[in-house]
Amino acid sequence: MPPVKPGHDPRTDGLMLTFGACLAVLLAALVLMYRATDGGSAFTTETLRRSEVARAPVQVPDFRVIDAGGNAQSLRALLAQSGDRAWIVDFVYTRCQTLCLALGTTFQRLQATIVEQGLQDRVGLLSISFDPLQDGPPALTDYAKRMRMQPGVWRLVSLQHETDRRRLLDNFGIMVVPAPLGEFEHNAALHLIDPAARLVHIFDLGEPGAALEAALVVRNAHVSLSTR
Amino acid sequence: MKNPLMPVAASAAAGALALSLPPARALIEQSMVWHMLVQMPLLVATGWLGAAAFTAPGGQGWPGTERLNRFGLTGFMLALGAMAYWMIPATVDRAVVLPTADLAKVVSLVIAGVALRQSFGVAPAAVQLFFAGSALPMMGWLGVYMAGTDRRLCNAYSLESQIAAGQGLVVLAMFLGVCWGLALWQRGSGSIPNARF
Repeated sequence: MPPVKPGHDPRTDGLMLTFGACLAVLLAALVLMYRATDGGSAFTTETLRRSEVARAPVQVPDFRVIDAGGNAQSLRALLAQSGDRAWIVDFVYTRCQTLCLALGTTFQRLQATIVEQGLQDRVGLLSISFDPLQDGPPALTDYAKRMRMQPGVWRLVSLQHETDRRRLLDNFGIMVVPAPLGEFEHNAALHLIDPAARLVHIFDLGEPGAALEAALVVRNAHVSLSTR
Repeated sequence: MKNPLMPVAASAAAGALALSLPPARALIEQSMVWHMLVQMPLLVATGWLGAAAFTAPGGQGWPGTERLNRFGLTGFMLALGAMAYWMIPATVDRAVVLPTADLAKVVSLVIAGVALRQSFGVAPAAVQLFFAGSALPMMGWLGVYMAGTDRRLCNAYSLESQIAAGQGLVVLAMFLGVCWGLALWQRGSGSIPNARF
């Protein structure tokens, strides 16, 4: 048995080992947190989703959609319909009394700006309902009237097949949560889709100006690329 | 000899695990309170009680772990890391949506509970104060922020649910603080030599 030095405290035996273990644990925790928050820049799913889309655009999936007139067509066809337009897209359900009203007001302002500046050939507005069971053509007609939508500028569609709902929401990263009084809560934002039907940027509800500006930029970039 | 803590630990484990599986899973999917204030604390409690049940009475830690966990430092670091990680709103969302993330949550929080139990037995008051002094305010501040902001932090939960969970976190942080103070006081008046550190 080795001689014990005077003043030696056995509780400090292997203290360096403990420090090493601490350091390893701390490093592992920091690496995991760094990865989970996109380098410490995004602490919510919503900011993560936005920075992911900004880094790598997402091809918009194709679905059968139906409009207020009961006309069915594919989403891609609708997006490509009126030439090279960029689209600002939002997700709604027409019974909504809360957040979608704010979305509706934002879209009304955007519509007014687009008409004022004569941009309707370059930027379109599209509202997609994620509640196909309730939002058939009559509900869509009603909502379009209430929002004073101008069909050449602002389109409103619902899913033709209820089964596509999950895929639509997953693709755009929308999470819909049931809320009291039969309402839904969902992450509301302005989704910018370029003329090649790619989701390229997601803007906050409060940044319609920035969204419109970016829409014009991606639209012009697309046109100058395709005419080259 | 059967430890009387065993059935308590087993019920905590059963409750916590049931919340990750259908049909009770609906509770943590719909309510942040059930997720952050019932299931997560239950998972930590499972680890704590389980570790306590397997430790000899009066024992302060497991032989073999002593050299790696002097003064309880490593265990506290581990618990602090796991708790901080599962307080990030984005990771809470992931645990709701992805079964693999949920499994990681279950395992890591149980381990955090084990680590906490092991460390509290051997840590001097100063180390405990440092740990509790960082973990509990972190919990409290997150609670205050969650309850006070009108921004939805988790896409998986309604704002209403977030506010309730925020208030609950503040209460939980205060409750744990009081429990910890009482335990320390009791230990200080006891005969454990470490307490004078």
